[in-house]
Amino acid sequence: MSSAEWQLVGFSLRVAVASLLLLLPPGLALAWWLARKEWRGKALVETLVSLPLVLPPVVTGLVLLQLFGRRRPVGGWLHSAFHYDVVFTWRAVVLALTTMSLPLFVRAARTAFEEVDVKFEQLARTLGAGEWRVFFTITLPLAKRGVLAGTLLAFARALGEFGATIMVAGNIPGRTTTLSVAIYQAVENGEDAHAWALAGVSAVIAFAAVFVSEQLQRRHR
Amino acid sequence: MKGPILTANFQKQFPGGPKIVAKDLRIGGGITVLFGASGSGKTTILRCLAGLERPQMGTIAFGQESWFDSARKVFQPPKKRRVGFVVQDYGLFPHLSVARNVSYGLQELPAAERASRVTEILRWLGVEDFEHRLPSELSGGQQQRVALARAVACRPKLLLLDEPFAALDLPTRSRLRGELRQLLRQLGIPTILVTHDRLEALALGDEVVVLHDGLNVQHGVVHEVFNRPVSLAVAEIAAVETIQPGRVLSTQDGLATVAVGEVRLVALAVNLPPETSDVYVCIRAEDVSLMRVEKLESSPRNRLAATVRAVAREGPLVRVSLDCGFPLTALLTESGRAELALCEGTEVLVLIKAPQVHLIPFQR
Amino acid sequence: MNNPSSKLLATIVAMAAGLGLQAAEINVFAAASLTDALKQIAADYERSSGDKIAFNFAASGTLSRQIEAGAPADVFFAADETKADALEKKGLLVSGTRKSLLGNSLVIITSVEAAAIHSPAELTNAAIQHVALGEVQTVPCGTYAKAYLEKRQLWAAVETKVVPCASVRAVLAAVESGNVDAGFVYKTDAAVSKKVKVAYEIPAEEAPKISYPLALLKDAPQPEAARKFMAYLDSDAATAVFKQFGFIVLTAPADK
Repeated sequence: MSSAEWQLVGFSLRVAVASLLLLLPPGLALAWWLARKEWRGKALVETLVSLPLVLPPVVTGLVLLQLFGRRRPVGGWLHSAFHYDVVFTWRAVVLALTTMSLPLFVRAARTAFEEVDVKFEQLARTLGAGEWRVFFTITLPLAKRGVLAGTLLAFARALGEFGATIMVAGNIPGRTTTLSVAIYQAVENGEDAHAWALAGVSAVIAFAAVFVSEQLQRRHR
Repeated sequence: MKGPILTANFQKQFPGGPKIVAKDLRIGGGITVLFGASGSGKTTILRCLAGLERPQMGTIAFGQESWFDSARKVFQPPKKRRVGFVVQDYGLFPHLSVARNVSYGLQELPAAERASRVTEILRWLGVEDFEHRLPSELSGGQQQRVALARAVACRPKLLLLDEPFAALDLPTRSRLRGELRQLLRQLGIPTILVTHDRLEALALGDEVVVLHDGLNVQHGVVHEVFNRPVSLAVAEIAAVETIQPGRVLSTQDGLATVAVGEVRLVALAVNLPPETSDVYVCIRAEDVSLMRVEKLESSPRNRLAATVRAVAREGPLVRVSLDCGFPLTALLTESGRAELALCEGTEVLVLIKAPQVHLIPFQR
Repeated sequence: MNNPSSKLLATIVAMAAGLGLQAAEINVFAAASLTDALKQIAADYERSSGDKIAFNFAASGTLSRQIEAGAPADVFFAADETKADALEKKGLLVSGTRKSLLGNSLVIITSVEAAAIHSPAELTNAAIQHVALGEVQTVPCGTYAKAYLEKRQLWAAVETKVVPCASVRAVLAAVESGNVDAGFVYKTDAAVSKKVKVAYEIPAEEAPKISYPLALLKDAPQPEAARKFMAYLDSDAATAVFKQFGFIVLTAPADK
């Protein structure tokens, strides 16, 4: 493995972590809303959130391209107002990873929140806690295991993301090329040894993530 | 006489479920027991008072504070009501130590004061040794005390206890009942306690509110309510052992003569509406005296000949089923029964004082 | 009695044979830049011959990899001789059928709102943030573009702005969408799009030699029909269409 290849791994890890940071606040909020509240149109929200799980990733990538392209609604505004480009930059990679991993995280976190008995939250309220305090001191700690499992799942998904990424960020070596994309390109170029080396790294990281996740769950049992 | 501390008048309808009505509820200081069978709405009323459920309409006021007013769209969330709440299985936060559970409601205090208040309360309840333990490491009784500690640590204005003994076994229950009464007395916080256990109501409550089918039907001092139920429903809820239909034959000098089948009984006619004819006759088993031979000094106005139909031990007491012209239940100690040598078929004399024969007019 | 029945039998056999011949479907793996021209030629051919042509348009490198992996194909029509060389070395081409048919010019295109470029050196300007190029190892157009920029000593400066694309048509699409500022395509590609403008045409003497080899594949399912189609591609009718789209038609065959 050359230094270029290690840089590639470093980049993939960095954007996966960045996507985690980006998806945690909205992910936790969504998971909590879906777990605790009822409202008209809830089914619609549930469907929208689950969509990236079921749609072909390239379709999700296409939708992102339609929104964040330089001439499109969001991308155009960002470009003209802040000279901020999304497509074909690392930001597009983070965007794609966040979009694809969010539904997985929300599902896991929602289940975790649903398993927290509401009576604890209610008792906390009688003791004078406001909603934010109830969430951070009662709900979240009691849902810790499930939320963590969801985070690891999201991380693994982000690392393996390909379809949406290649659509919206392309494959620019050193700037948007992730592990998965690099493996694909290596095969395209007929560079089998290179492809296998990268695939090996990918497998090792995935193994480590799942292993840690399993250990965490076991310790709490 | 002090005015009520809490007044409530509300309705809560569960979609596709029961309707709970708190009609003109007035709770004073001291310990008030909300008494009723399971499903009678006691817990719902308690939760509405705490702010954990929201009634469809009505009002709840604590002193001058309006906690809920559907007409003026007022609703104080639990946070603002300063109510201590203890649930059936205590609800101690499983991930926090005892000390942190108890200090949860004390965030407004500076850290030092918080710590000292926690220690003080734990010591007072006798659980200071468990300060750093997790709730899962405590026994049921210990958890109950910690839950109580947590609820009273922030000096609430009102304390609500939902079946505090439901999660404990019988011996622990009887042991802790007396202790709890003492504790509550010492605290001096107006308390509302929910239970379906008559012994708990008698042991703990100053006043009792009886609930039947989601509606409060009688309110008063505990033993008065249980001895003088105003309706058949309350009599059944209060587990009066003998309830028989009867007819008032005549009333004179404050006494009424009632016929139950062929038997004539004398009862007090106070509070009996004039022209009452059909009544239910209620006699508590502990008010029935039995003897083999009549003593001339005895004063009860009701003397009946009866035959023992069955004798059943109930712990330290004995339930004696008699036939005196109608089915009658008496409660004696085992030694009393032995002294009278009662067994199936024995002929005895039943004595009941007139005030202990309670009449409930028929309600059509 | 023999004569009419044997004649009938012969007719039936001939018809059957003819039907068999007429149902031929030829798989043509062709460079993406040939998309519009070949589709039109194929439409004409299908009408006259009765055979059907199924196309697989992609970057030449992608196609050669697929052929190596065993994809069923009859004809290979690439934009780069090296791709055909690779297949020939592996013995996947039928010897004697390879022919360099077409040439092309390289152009720099820009999106309609981008700043105008008058020379390749202007690609190094700060105003040009993204330059789309075909993936240099699989897309001939990208290989040519890189070779050209290296020759002009502009590669080091432009490399950091490069957005690699999977085919020359992908480059075209990227420039059309406005997500990149400029791109390298063939003149023939720029011609089919109204949403881009040609900023600079690389003169033939400065550009690398662009040559489109055509060959029959050894494992072709329909070799006879394929040969017929390949012959048609060399005909005047086809040549006219190629010229119409802007391709350069090479008159001499490849020196192989």
